[in-house]
Amino acid sequence: MNLPAELVIALLVWGTLVGVDLVSLPQMMIARPLVAGTVAGALIGDIGAGLTLGVVFELLQYDILPVGAVRYPEYGPATVAAVATAHASAGVLGVGLGALVGLLTGLIGGVTIHLMRRINSAAVHRATPLLETGDSRALVRLHVAALLRDVLRACAVTALGLGLAAAARPLLSGVLTTRDATLLAVAAVGAALAAGAAGTLRLVGHGRSLAWFAAGLGGGMVVVWLR
Amino acid sequence: MAPVSARPPLGRALLRLFSVQASYNYERLLGVGVGVAEEPLLRDLDTNGAGDTGRYRAAVARGAHFFNAHPYLIGLAVGAAARAEHDGVPPEQVERLRAALCGPLGSLGDRLVWAGWLPLLSALTIVGVALGAGWVAVAAFLLIYNTGHVALRWWALQAGWAHGARVGAALHHPFFPRAGAVLGPAMACAVGLALPLGAEFLTDPFETWARGALAATAAAGFIALRVRGSVRLNGLQLGLGLVAGALAIGWLWP
Repeated sequence: MNLPAELVIALLVWGTLVGVDLVSLPQMMIARPLVAGTVAGALIGDIGAGLTLGVVFELLQYDILPVGAVRYPEYGPATVAAVATAHASAGVLGVGLGALVGLLTGLIGGVTIHLMRRINSAAVHRATPLLETGDSRALVRLHVAALLRDVLRACAVTALGLGLAAAARPLLSGVLTTRDATLLAVAAVGAALAAGAAGTLRLVGHGRSLAWFAAGLGGGMVVVWLR
Repeated sequence: MAPVSARPPLGRALLRLFSVQASYNYERLLGVGVGVAEEPLLRDLDTNGAGDTGRYRAAVARGAHFFNAHPYLIGLAVGAAARAEHDGVPPEQVERLRAALCGPLGSLGDRLVWAGWLPLLSALTIVGVALGAGWVAVAAFLLIYNTGHVALRWWALQAGWAHGARVGAALHHPFFPRAGAVLGPAMACAVGLALPLGAEFLTDPFETWARGALAATAAAGFIALRVRGSVRLNGLQLGLGLVAGALAIGWLWP
């Protein structure tokens, strides 16, 4: 089932805001998959799908530490596209298909961030003589142009993700059996849990925090067992 | 020395700081964004108001040079450099001040925010979602995270402006070691708690065999991510690989 045009536009706007928030403005963490997914889910009337895919991509995000000029995938618009894919596909099919589209969109998003930074570098290089004279108008113009480039980039990535979502639903949802969809969901959730654990352990290291990680893990297992 | 305004436009500089990374590039990294944020604080140097005073233009040019640090703490450098320009600190000393701040502001912010405050609250949100709090947990995350986020940006800008070239004193504020000592273990414990609860939440629609397959897949994936070979696998590559493998198995398995 395809999404109505007004919902696609709403998701496109939301995905663009999410994409811009990641780096450019204002970094208030609406780009976090949990937030991006929940709001996307609310927009399509399925908060459950938004929360589920939000948790999957949030765990994958733990693998990323955005320090220096490091290159990383972009999971915000990817989560919006994933939730759009899961629309009208309940249970494991929604998780599996959504994760597939989201991972591809995240890969593309990361590549576009790198390309945009190279374009920004060329623009800064060209403007260097003016910048060295202390021309504040040229400085602000350069900055605003880069911001607008990021808006266009985020919009394009979200549009591409929503396009993938529209293509994946009719192409795959009728072909995949329940077992195939389950395998897909197992692969996505397995990767998310592995990335969440491995990424956290990289941050935690070997000191006192490792003991706290183990304590938290044990406590979580007890809570799961008690439930 | 230029007269220091009784009410410097810190609010305007703060607003511009929210977009400090918008012009991120491999030539000057955050330099252009830092220059844009610092510019309102330098306007007092523009004595004829036409933007062509030599001292103002030289300070604007310096402000846009190479810079890199954690975005939430950059205000410290912006405020300190702008105040140093007003205090008549020699240009080469302002450049040295900026260069000296890159490393400490980067490592401090990364440790406190990217490796502490953010994953701590994110993990607690996953716990909340898994325990049934739903969107309320997500809304609480946004509210609490941004309370700390905005407070840190504002403190950094004010402290930078207050200390000027002696901004190193602000970096020795007792809050930072205390926060670091609490946030690291708290983050580790929260993520540890979130992993099994998140797994339970995500496997709700799974059949029993699928839960077993998930445990094996996650364990194998974890080992693959922890192996330190010449090519290091990341989460995205692992995810794409596993999803491709699942599609291939589904296609080959009658």
